[in-house]
Amino acid sequence: MSLELRNVSAGYGTGAVLHDISLRVAPGEIVTLIGANGAGKSTLAKTISGLMTPMSGEILWDGVPIHALPTALRLQRGIAHVPEGRQLFAGMRVEENLALGASICDQGRPGAGVLEEALRLFPVLAERMADTAGNFSGGQQQMLAIARGLRASPRLLILDEPSLGLSPKLVAEIFALIRFLRDRGLSILLAEQNARAALAVADRGAVIENGRIVMEGPAAVLLHAPDIAERYLGVGVAATADSGEVTRMAARLRACVWGDAGVAG
Amino acid sequence: MNTLVQIVLGGVLQGSIYALLALGFSLVFRVTGVINLAQGGFCTLGALLVYSMHVDWGMATLPSALIAMLVTTLLAAVVGRVAFVPGLSRLTNSNMLMMTAGVLTMFEGLVLVVWGSQPYALPPFSGERPWKLGSILIQPQGVWVIGVAGIIIVALGWMLMRTRLGQSLRACAENPMAARLVGVNVPRLQLFAFALAGAIGAVAGIVVAPAIALEFDTGRLLTISGFIAVAIGGIASFPGAIAGGLLLGLVNQLGTAYVSSLFSAALSLGLLLIVLIFRPAGLIRSGVVRRADVREEARVWAHVTRISSSNAWRWGGLAVLLALSAPFVLDDGLLGALIITLILFLTLIGQDMLMGYAGQISLGQAGFMALGGYTSSYLITAQDWNAVPAILAGMASSLVASLVLAAVTLRLRGLYMALATMAFGLLVDSCTVGFDDITGGPSGMVGIPSLSVQGFDFDTPARMYFLVLALVVLVLISVAGAMRAGFGRALLAIRTDPLAAAALGVNVVGCKMAAFAISALLASLSGSLYAFHFHFLSPEMVGAPRSLELVSMLIIGGEGTLIGPLFGAALITILPTLFQPLAIFKTLASGALLAGCALYLPQGIFGTLLRLVPQTKGRKPMAREQAA
Repeated sequence: MSLELRNVSAGYGTGAVLHDISLRVAPGEIVTLIGANGAGKSTLAKTISGLMTPMSGEILWDGVPIHALPTALRLQRGIAHVPEGRQLFAGMRVEENLALGASICDQGRPGAGVLEEALRLFPVLAERMADTAGNFSGGQQQMLAIARGLRASPRLLILDEPSLGLSPKLVAEIFALIRFLRDRGLSILLAEQNARAALAVADRGAVIENGRIVMEGPAAVLLHAPDIAERYLGVGVAATADSGEVTRMAARLRACVWGDAGVAG
Repeated sequence: MNTLVQIVLGGVLQGSIYALLALGFSLVFRVTGVINLAQGGFCTLGALLVYSMHVDWGMATLPSALIAMLVTTLLAAVVGRVAFVPGLSRLTNSNMLMMTAGVLTMFEGLVLVVWGSQPYALPPFSGERPWKLGSILIQPQGVWVIGVAGIIIVALGWMLMRTRLGQSLRACAENPMAARLVGVNVPRLQLFAFALAGAIGAVAGIVVAPAIALEFDTGRLLTISGFIAVAIGGIASFPGAIAGGLLLGLVNQLGTAYVSSLFSAALSLGLLLIVLIFRPAGLIRSGVVRRADVREEARVWAHVTRISSSNAWRWGGLAVLLALSAPFVLDDGLLGALIITLILFLTLIGQDMLMGYAGQISLGQAGFMALGGYTSSYLITAQDWNAVPAILAGMASSLVASLVLAAVTLRLRGLYMALATMAFGLLVDSCTVGFDDITGGPSGMVGIPSLSVQGFDFDTPARMYFLVLALVVLVLISVAGAMRAGFGRALLAIRTDPLAAAALGVNVVGCKMAAFAISALLASLSGSLYAFHFHFLSPEMVGAPRSLELVSMLIIGGEGTLIGPLFGAALITILPTLFQPLAIFKTLASGALLAGCALYLPQGIFGTLLRLVPQTKGRKPMAREQAA
């Protein structure tokens, strides 16, 4: 089961956010999308899961076009999306959240049984089945969101910013879980701002800037590519890069706020 | 003691009906985030269908009730499929509200065409002999009402909490996006909720029908009662809907018994206003994050085409010239309709500023008309005041009322604002009916003289027409100027994002109050003119139905266009005069127009016309982003 995007463009209203995205996720592979806030990672995730329809291009799942299918049918074929910000049914119990995750359930896929194993990793969920999901901590909510996604026994799991707002310890746990899921045969598409951790766990990576994939390759290569290090990993020539552009922008901002006097002064 | 038990029993009975209505509101609101004003329409339709089958065709009660329920549910499903669910993904919440108001009006129109305007009383299901329980008398129909309400509440609760379907419905209510992600067919469940609410409405209407007189506009009253009940109880929770219904029923009955039947409505409205001011989310809050917040954001971004200033003067001048010739070519009937159109347009200019620019939904604008009209008419007829000071006094009273209303509702937005203004309108309604020694009560105030200023009488249609035309032109020029200047921009900013507006230094409170005050002043002036024109003023001329009609005119004409409402007012006022024999279809047509415009022409007729006119060189349309 492989996912393939061919020249996909998508957006809101009449303006495109994604331009000509082509991407492949092979079976049992972790592919990470890295990019700044607003680069288009979430839009891409939504386009793959069917929350948005592409304006052009095609999405193939195992060679079959799926970009015209509604979300439910894509889920049935094994594509589950764990959205940014977790999006739990906050007022409902943990078990209800999980039960809803299984609205469309197909036993016998690689994903089946994974949930039970995953729950073993997060015993807290199993203990608190009758609690209201909205009362959970951020980390527990993220676990629950992933567990809910797994409940549909997917073959491809799209994780959108799973580490957002979590403590370093929990982030490590989430990434351990991602590796565990891959080892059980799932393909994973991981959209992350935490580029270092994402590249460390991924097989391949793609960098999105302004809705275009600007770089793609094995994660280990990207991890050491100077451009990436500078922009997304916060190392290297950060101090020197500051010099020209940042000063110019600061001056322009001053001019906007204070008028021309600010530039003169 | 016995009397008290009897009254409380009556309250529970009335409350059960309100609770059923409220449950329908709550169901649709939780799953879709929209208040469905058509709810009461299902009740009348269901009940009248039973009447026809049972009384006219001699069918037994139960089968006719079942068939009526089925038909109503089917109709609800069709409306949901054609209008409601498609609208959800395209329209703002306020436009959805207007659309459901249109659907309600359509239902009323349908009933009017099929059953006429006379009242119907369905015979009680189990005879009229009251049952005795000790010394307490119980009407058998009351047992039916309470029993059916109880069964529906329990069944609905079981369905929602214990079944897969209920779980999916609650998932839609909690988080529609996540529901889609786990494979729930959200539009289908929204349709299901809408149709189920229709079924509940039909049942409520059928069981209550023997206890009340059914008329074509009973649905409106039921909608309003259910809306108030659900607002008091808390719209986002089912227990809230039930509690709100029962509380409203009890307050109504106790108020009727111990205060006065004329003021029992005022009591429950007072209760509603207090709840809205202090606990806007209702007495019983749900544990869930409020849905209204999610949907308050405008979902539709459309451009309103503007005419350039020079063209506005050119076209406006032409229109005025045309208007000036009207009295010499039109007969008195048409001229009268034109005068009414212009008088209503005065109110609508203010309402457009309030709704189209500042984004504050007002469903009580006729309340200000009533305040102005009644105050000035009373001062002239009973206190021998001159016309001009009397009109000014009327405007002052509306001004005070609007400032008080604006001050207490400052925190409210969107839906709650709509509800508060509607409650205000209804409150004025019940006062105009209640204070019958001043207002003449339900039969109205008679003998209002023609407007006379410094000895000059505006006593012919032509004179009145020129006066109103002059006022309209004056007001339109000043308001249009203000809307193109900083004040208009400030209002638009508040509509889009009050927080951001405040951060940019816009005096949000001041601007909102000013918009409210100006709209109230204009409505008041128009109310006075209305009374002078007819020499008569009755609660139904300036009551809650009028408020809804004003909103229809605004939406049909085009919100945020200032001129647009003139088209809406003209369409609804003049067309029935032109096509007298078809007048019975007026309600149906205006409902269809309202629903259709809300759905397909978010900028109304005028906005759409402007877009259709080819953009010539002389005109530079100033497109502005705004939620239409």
